[in-house]
Amino acid sequence: MGTVLQIRNLALGYPSLTLFRHLSLDIDGGTTLAVIGANGSGKSTFVKALLGLMTPIAGRLSWPSGMPREIGYLAQMSEFDREFPIRVRDLAAMGAWRGFGLWSGLDRKGRDRVSAALEEAGILDLANRALHTLSGGQLQRALFARVILQDAPLILLDEPFAAVDQSTEAHLLSIIRGWQNEGRAVVLVVHDLSSVLDHCSHALLLGGEAATHGPVDDVLTPEQLVKQGYLSKSQAAWMFRGAAHYSEGVHV
Amino acid sequence: MFDVFSEMWSFAFMRRAFVATTVLSASVTPVGAFLVLRRLSLAGEAMAHAITPGVVIGFVTAGLSVMSLLVGGLIAGVGVAVLTALLARKTILRSDASLASLYLIALAAGIFILSAAGSAVPLKSFLFGSILGIDDPSMMLVGGVATVTLVSFAVLLRPLIVSTCDPVFFEAQTRRPWIVEQGFMLLLVLNLLAAFKTLGTLMAVGLMILPATAARYWASTITGQLALGFVFALASCWIGLTVSYLFPETPSGPAIVLVAGGFFAISAGLGPLGFGGRMRKPATAVETKPTPQPITDERTP
Repeated sequence: MGTVLQIRNLALGYPSLTLFRHLSLDIDGGTTLAVIGANGSGKSTFVKALLGLMTPIAGRLSWPSGMPREIGYLAQMSEFDREFPIRVRDLAAMGAWRGFGLWSGLDRKGRDRVSAALEEAGILDLANRALHTLSGGQLQRALFARVILQDAPLILLDEPFAAVDQSTEAHLLSIIRGWQNEGRAVVLVVHDLSSVLDHCSHALLLGGEAATHGPVDDVLTPEQLVKQGYLSKSQAAWMFRGAAHYSEGVHV
Repeated sequence: MFDVFSEMWSFAFMRRAFVATTVLSASVTPVGAFLVLRRLSLAGEAMAHAITPGVVIGFVTAGLSVMSLLVGGLIAGVGVAVLTALLARKTILRSDASLASLYLIALAAGIFILSAAGSAVPLKSFLFGSILGIDDPSMMLVGGVATVTLVSFAVLLRPLIVSTCDPVFFEAQTRRPWIVEQGFMLLLVLNLLAAFKTLGTLMAVGLMILPATAARYWASTITGQLALGFVFALASCWIGLTVSYLFPETPSGPAIVLVAGGFFAISAGLGPLGFGGRMRKPATAVETKPTPQPITDERTP
């Protein structure tokens, strides 16, 4: 499966603050990239740069197989109006709203696609419920259905598991695995070191004005996590206390 | 009772007022609904006051015509919108404070100029509307604005829904998100001007906001919100106009808005999303807040 997005020599930041420089990275179809870093290290900024909402200080993004019509995107839950008067079915259908005609509603095929996406997200029975009646986990499933309907080669998920329970997380992870198998590239902002990382093939660690990337096991080492300010030495010593090689690395 | 109605209908100005407000209700309903949903209710109110000096200057310099109303109001409305954005972006004030400052200045300037110039329009009908003021050109204005509004909403509805519900998602989807935002503000100014004759500058927003907030207590879908909002707006206009006719000293604006207020109060009390219902407020995204520890700890000796 080919490269979906090539990032070359990317630098991100704001006038008074550079987040990182010199990031070159290929995002390939069928892979999942975990983005990890402390608060303020630029995880969401990185996602916004991929969406084209943030102009980089330097560097270039190129799309070897053409700029996709849609980039799948799920923002952090806090940026969403949960009291908006709309049904679950219509929220999911937003994923495909640019595909509808200007005047026409959903045809039968479109309605079937929406139902299939809700089914995949496990909330077909809630299709006609109003948004404000959903729990946090149910809402996140509805937003996943919307991403499914976007049918995009690159999917960006910003902390999708921040407010959901374990069984919802497991279900959503199985959807992400399905995307991988279909050859889509997934970028997943993760807020802590958890079992979620088992589902990611690559990791991008941000922090300390640096960006390190590679296979998960090569990047998320205790030494690197301490170096880029994600963990303190004592936290790293505790979290990796079972790992034999670690006690040799950093002396606490 | 019936005599009162047949007498009321025998006046051309009353028939005109009923037709004009019916069309106006259809036009302001979607604008009001999205003002409420986009959390711009107060910004709408401020904008209504802000266009006052434009309208007054139009009246004073070019006479009492629909054209002077439209041109003056549009210039003032767009001017205030641009200045607000400028103040919010380049100075420390946020947009609500910028808008509040500007609309207070604008309203004062408008009333000052109107009084100083000794305008032909009495201050009371300027501020609160008058059913006597609806002439043929005003009818044309209301009809034209309603046409523009409804056609625009047919095109803008879907992007407006997406951008209101999930602005971040919308921004990620389109290269020019500001078109929807600015287009909506322009429709707001147009509808305020259309509502101006019947409701006056101080009351124009009332017919947008109150039916929309009342409908919000009942509707769980946009369609329901719009349909019910229209019914409330229309009923407010018809009942309000009748009341204003029965009490000749009362301006029509407050009469209409008071009826709308009645619908709001009833809806808040009885609507399924009001006090009467068992609505579950959506929990905030992060629900697991640790319970605060007591200061005195049992472990301390």
